[in-house]
Amino acid sequence: MSFREKSAWIALAAYGVVFGAYFFVLWQSWGAAYARGLSIGLMIGAVVMLVIIAAGLSILAALSAPKEANAPADEREQLINLKAERIASHTLSTGVVLLIGALLAGWNSVLVANLLLAAMVISELVKASTQIIAYRRGA
Amino acid sequence: MRIENEIRRLRFEHGEMTQAQLAERIGMTRQTVIAIEQGKYSPSLEAAFKIAAAFGVAITDVFRWAPD
Repeated sequence: MSFREKSAWIALAAYGVVFGAYFFVLWQSWGAAYARGLSIGLMIGAVVMLVIIAAGLSILAALSAPKEANAPADEREQLINLKAERIASHTLSTGVVLLIGALLAGWNSVLVANLLLAAMVISELVKASTQIIAYRRGA
Repeated sequence: MRIENEIRRLRFEHGEMTQAQLAERIGMTRQTVIAIEQGKYSPSLEAAFKIAAAFGVAITDVFRWAPD
């Protein structure tokens, strides 16, 4: 497995675990969160955890293959990254447009803010998944 | 339409050069060399010339177009 495929797996795992836990906690305490507004502490905690987990695993992956980690992406890897970025950006754009509609329809701002965060997380998961599928297929 | 190649044979004829060695010479990852060799990825013209140069042959000795 190439270093960049490992990086995609790390992103998938880190986003999945951290924001899976974030949205689970939010879901469990939705009544209170709805009443008190955005839970900034929980959100910042999730982002800090994401950075720690992703950075830690990336360092381990780089230590296991330092030469590959320092080498620039080759043309196939760049192409895979571009394809994944394009699909992820379409996913995020769709989410943002739908949520603008939700705001105009009078949805609660706390709910919309969390759904916006969910759209960002989903777009990152889509990006990592697309990269992994492309690396597995070979092209 | 498909681009076929002779990379496997050429590696064998060049002292059983490994995919990793070829990758090192052309500045790509081993996984990309594998994808090219298996016909799953068609390289850019620049990469194709680099591969041909690594074997010291013309580009047409490495790659050929095989219409369906």
